Amino acid sequence: MAVLSNNDLFCSAALAGLYDVFDPEIGLNVVDLGLIYRIDFNEETKKIIVTMTLTTQFCPMGESITADVQQSVSDAFKDYQVSIDLVFNPAWSPEQISPEGQEFLDR
Amino acid sequence: MFTNDSSSGLQQTTSYKVVLPFYIFAALSFIISCTLLLLNTDIIHQHYFHPQTLAITHLMALGWGTMIILGASHQLLPVLIEGKLDSYLLALLSFVFAATGIPLLVTGFYLFNTGLILQTGAVLINASVICYFLNVIASISESKKHNVHAFFIAAASLWLFATTFFGLLLVFNFSRSWLPENSIEYLSVHAHMGLVGWFLLLIIGVGSRLIPMFLISKYSNPKILWWIFALINIALFGFIILKTSNAFEKLYYSPFLLVLFALALFANYCYRAYKERIRKHVDEQMKISLLSVAMLILPLLSLMAVIYFIRENSGSKLVLLYGYCIFFGWITAIIMGMTFKTLPFIVWTKVYHSRVLGKTPAPKELFSENLFKIMALFYLTGFILFLAGILLLNDLLLKSGAALLLASAIVYVINVAKTVFHQAKV
Repeated sequence: MAVLSNNDLFCSAALAGLYDVFDPEIGLNVVDLGLIYRIDFNEETKKIIVTMTLTTQFCPMGESITADVQQSVSDAFKDYQVSIDLVFNPAWSPEQISPEGQEFLDR
Repeated sequence: MFTNDSSSGLQQTTSYKVVLPFYIFAALSFIISCTLLLLNTDIIHQHYFHPQTLAITHLMALGWGTMIILGASHQLLPVLIEGKLDSYLLALLSFVFAATGIPLLVTGFYLFNTGLILQTGAVLINASVICYFLNVIASISESKKHNVHAFFIAAASLWLFATTFFGLLLVFNFSRSWLPENSIEYLSVHAHMGLVGWFLLLIIGVGSRLIPMFLISKYSNPKILWWIFALINIALFGFIILKTSNAFEKLYYSPFLLVLFALALFANYCYRAYKERIRKHVDEQMKISLLSVAMLILPLLSLMAVIYFIRENSGSKLVLLYGYCIFFGWITAIIMGMTFKTLPFIVWTKVYHSRVLGKTPAPKELFSENLFKIMALFYLTGFILFLAGILLLNDLLLKSGAALLLASAIVYVINVAKTVFHQAKV
């Protein structure tokens, strides 16, 4: 599932870091897992909003994963304030796993 | 497109402080049960209504099976009912009452002291179950969604209360005849309310959610789960009516067939979840959990034989075989597998939830995979040897089987301790 953004260049920079944020149980990064829905940048207010989900709303690792995503984007954009918009509509489904992610899980 | 409706936002999971004491108590109960089994293998030659058999059975059912399920269900309740646990205090009280009541009850049975020790134990266990039941019902009531898993857990906790309350009546019936007949006449009703109403309903309710979740499977079929729910409850009510009305023995096949059909549906559900999994690699913990579903065939075969030979002398041995296959087979196998799927999550959350972008280990790295394999090997070999010992009434097989089961319990406890005492690695 492609990640939506209002700034493709900035989005690529953010995603580069997010490929290193993993769901600890599945062992797959949050981008290939399809957890990141959208990243919006506001260059005037210097704010970034990451819209994302979790595999389940009651994921015991949810707090850790969202904190890692926030930290990763903050590291890539040091002058920006990063916030996470956690949504469960649409809910995550295995169809959101990227072909690369599926290849990893097929091993 | 992406909505942040009222049901969204991160739900807090149950604190590890509520859950871990149950796991630790259960692990110790398992090792004590296996030790008692090794020291008392001669009980296989006796009638099943025997002090040591009752003690081991209740330690396995309450101290091992129920305690770990209570702990895990406090943790998993938010996942199952899509809400949050209502009260940590009730969860804590549930642990305290059970942790004091179970040793008293087991000691009472072991020494066959049917007076104050046994009665106090039974009262405390009931207090624990009432706390748990109230907590489950309050949590489900506050949850916005009521799915099939919530009905499984609510019905199972109601059956648990029915089991322990009936058990309390049986305990008091030893000293004052409160019931029309001797306590031994009601044992099968008491046992099946617990085995089918509590363990089977809860394990299917939880397993049907967790097995697809851990396999990362696309499969889900609530309709089939509703059928299973109805079949099991009808079978159990049917059995109780047949038993209390002293019905013709062969009629017991009808609830048996209903449960058999429900289990066939559940086995098929697990198989479909397995076939439609996204992650191809299946870890050892999931393998032993799935094996436990297949292991249900053993108590079913024993039960079929129990019904067939109900008036024969071999009935008592078959009842022991049936109980053994349930407690040391099905329940132990699923707990062994699921402990190392759920406990690492609980400890991981405790140790790493506030860390940011450190190199955190995966939950599966919190316990030893090699120790798990050794435990599984000891367990499966011990289980088969002891089973053969019961069938052949061979003391050497019974002793060696019990020794291997104890070895598996020791390895289990070591691995649980390794997980629980895990320190942050960065």
